[in-house]
Amino acid sequence: MLSEYKEVFLEELAEQLQVMDEVILQLEQEGESEQIVQNLFRAAHTLKGSSAAMGYEEMKHLTHEMEHLLDQVRSKTLRVTGPLIDLLFQSLDGLKELQKDIMRADDAITDISECIRKLQAFDKSSKEMKDVEVERMTNLEPELSLNTKLKMKEAEDQGLKVYWIRIQISPDCDIRGARFYVIHSNLCNLGEVLYSIPDIDKIEEQGSSSLEVQFLYAGEQSGEELQEMVAALTDVTNVKLESVTTETEGSVAEEIEMPEIHIERDHSHKEISKTPTIRVNVDRLDHLMNLVGELVIEHTRIDEVKRIQKRQYSDDSVEQLSQISDHLYRIISDLQDSVMKTRMLPIEQLFNRFPRMIRDLTRMLGKDIELAIGGKDTELDRTLIEEIADPLIHLIRNAVDHGIELPEQRELSGKVRKGTLQIRAAHEDNQVVIYVEDDGAGIDPEKMKNSAVSKGIVSPEEAELLSDKEAINLIFRPGFSTASVVSDVSGRGVGMDIVRSHIEKLNGLIDIETKLGQGTCFKIKLPLTLAIIIGLLVKLDDQTFIIPMSNIAEIVRTSYNDIARVRGQEVILLRNEIIPIVWLHDRFNLSRRKRKNGIVQLVIVGSAEKRLALAVDELIGNQEVVIKSLGSYVGKVDGIAGSTILGNGKIALILEVSGIINQG
Amino acid sequence: MQIMGQEQYIEFAIEEERYAIPIQDIFEIIKIQDITQIPNVTSYVEGVINLRGKIVPVISLRSFFGLREKENSKLTRIIVVHHQEDTVGVIVDCVNKVTTFTDIQPPPERIGGIEGSYFVGIGLTDNGIVGVLKLNEILLHD
Repeated sequence: MLSEYKEVFLEELAEQLQVMDEVILQLEQEGESEQIVQNLFRAAHTLKGSSAAMGYEEMKHLTHEMEHLLDQVRSKTLRVTGPLIDLLFQSLDGLKELQKDIMRADDAITDISECIRKLQAFDKSSKEMKDVEVERMTNLEPELSLNTKLKMKEAEDQGLKVYWIRIQISPDCDIRGARFYVIHSNLCNLGEVLYSIPDIDKIEEQGSSSLEVQFLYAGEQSGEELQEMVAALTDVTNVKLESVTTETEGSVAEEIEMPEIHIERDHSHKEISKTPTIRVNVDRLDHLMNLVGELVIEHTRIDEVKRIQKRQYSDDSVEQLSQISDHLYRIISDLQDSVMKTRMLPIEQLFNRFPRMIRDLTRMLGKDIELAIGGKDTELDRTLIEEIADPLIHLIRNAVDHGIELPEQRELSGKVRKGTLQIRAAHEDNQVVIYVEDDGAGIDPEKMKNSAVSKGIVSPEEAELLSDKEAINLIFRPGFSTASVVSDVSGRGVGMDIVRSHIEKLNGLIDIETKLGQGTCFKIKLPLTLAIIIGLLVKLDDQTFIIPMSNIAEIVRTSYNDIARVRGQEVILLRNEIIPIVWLHDRFNLSRRKRKNGIVQLVIVGSAEKRLALAVDELIGNQEVVIKSLGSYVGKVDGIAGSTILGNGKIALILEVSGIINQG
Repeated sequence: MQIMGQEQYIEFAIEEERYAIPIQDIFEIIKIQDITQIPNVTSYVEGVINLRGKIVPVISLRSFFGLREKENSKLTRIIVVHHQEDTVGVIVDCVNKVTTFTDIQPPPERIGGIEGSYFVGIGLTDNGIVGVLKLNEILLHD
């Protein structure tokens, strides 16, 4: 039960943190506006409520302090300044740390006391401006129930003022319980007590030990009058007042709206969608996807039977079978489409993290960069969004660190001081393409060659032979980094080779285009989903293998005589590019078939600098295939990404192109 | 040992030797099927089969024990077992019967050239002895 709540809480937390991230950034860029501050306040308030309900004290404390500061911004007693924004960002980072603690289910190991101290210090400096008499008792405000808030609202509507009254009862008082009753009834004569701590009904059980009592009181008196009246009561030593409104306690309306906020995931977006939505456990979606996969497989089997029957017989029943098969196909594709759509999320989720990242990076590196984000609505499978985050972040770091020059440098080379970084996503054919493009210095092929030689990645002779494009593609070689000085931004021990292999693991491709002095563009192509892919069925010996379509650059037929040899390696010359040929037969211990007419089918695969021509015996055709793992008993096999079941019930192995490339 | 003697085992054979595994470890026993070979895996992993839409790896006990290969016959069976989270098929020459043992003796160090650690013990029946296999040991073997 508890973990279920926790899940819901974590989802909400992630959402609210994202909102805060965006809004603080907005606050910094666009300046103070009522709407922005209100949004931020609301996010902090929501988190305070839910973290308190879940018993995450630290988070409650931190959000409470944030809320408190923001409230002052809202009431114009505090101005939005650089330091305030920094402080808000720091607090947000603190919250993110706490979030990690909660996710790991650790006891809070993050120390937020420094953050809270700063928030309170900020508070103090502003407090001096406030009315001295009406002092806040920040740490003592209890969370109010909806019922109490409604009572508050009612009182306000009647024109009454609402106060928190905090009273110290004199330590000399022997019968404090009774004294509490008396104070309570006195206050009831003056106005109305909405809520009290301790609860008036429980006062006897609680014993008479509590020296401090609190009342939420509604009355006509001004603060001063009330202060005097209460102080005059017997055994009262210290009185503190704080005026409250339903606003500061979170409006009643907001509280009632809560369920709606849960249902409408999109409430943070600018356009609120009208259709109701629900949250679904991802496992259930995965299960649905699997079932649809089974259907796709079964349908290919039916289709196979249909073809066999058609060849042998021609009567009505065969015709019917054919119709059923076609109809089933339409239904299954629709179903598959719908199920896939339920798993799709706009890439916005990921892209929204970047503005903050760029802000921090540019500040750290002293650069001036404008971020342009496009195609936020582009949808792709949620697992893909998660998987692509790391490589993308790496590319962006690289662009900011190495790509875009310092403002002075840019001025010297006749560019505008402010660099531009563009991150775009778009659908192309049945794929998603993500671009990371900067208008920076570009990559110098000569420098790449020198660097590669000095790092021993290629020999000087080899470097001589490289074309500019090949030289630039050296960036994807293991052990390569263009940074002469490793900054703490991109020097994290991961190179572009990791980025590339990560993308290839997702059945994607990465390419690079660069112009010296003008900028660099990385282009990442990804399939829409990971569970079902379009594959090219090929035959090797008598086994069927599947090559993911997204890995395939092109298919060529060549005569055996056109295959050349360079130092024992078979290659083919394709539009002036030398591409090594891999006979998968040798890799997989299969026998090479005798070729009748000397024709070899080559499937050109790979991405970035490495292209390979895979020699196969026969091309069968394209088909949607459901990826099934080989299971943990077999484990990871080099060059094999998984398997699928074909229409004839046989198993075909799916090639892992990156694995094959890296072996060669 | 008394209680173990009451348990039921499936007895099968590889060459002339008789082996057994506890019946509750067994998911099902199927006839030999089309096996799709996987390149570059341990030699005794024969490949994968399609078990009603599920991909199931199969291993050859014969090859695991280091015996020479033999053509599959009509009697060849795949004993499908659950192993941790996985389902694994074990190819054997033939499956004899369900059996119980009057006693199980501790295993000798080696049996017919096979490591003693793969055995729970030697089961005694009315018509001879049967090696009771430790399936987990065998499947966990690298």
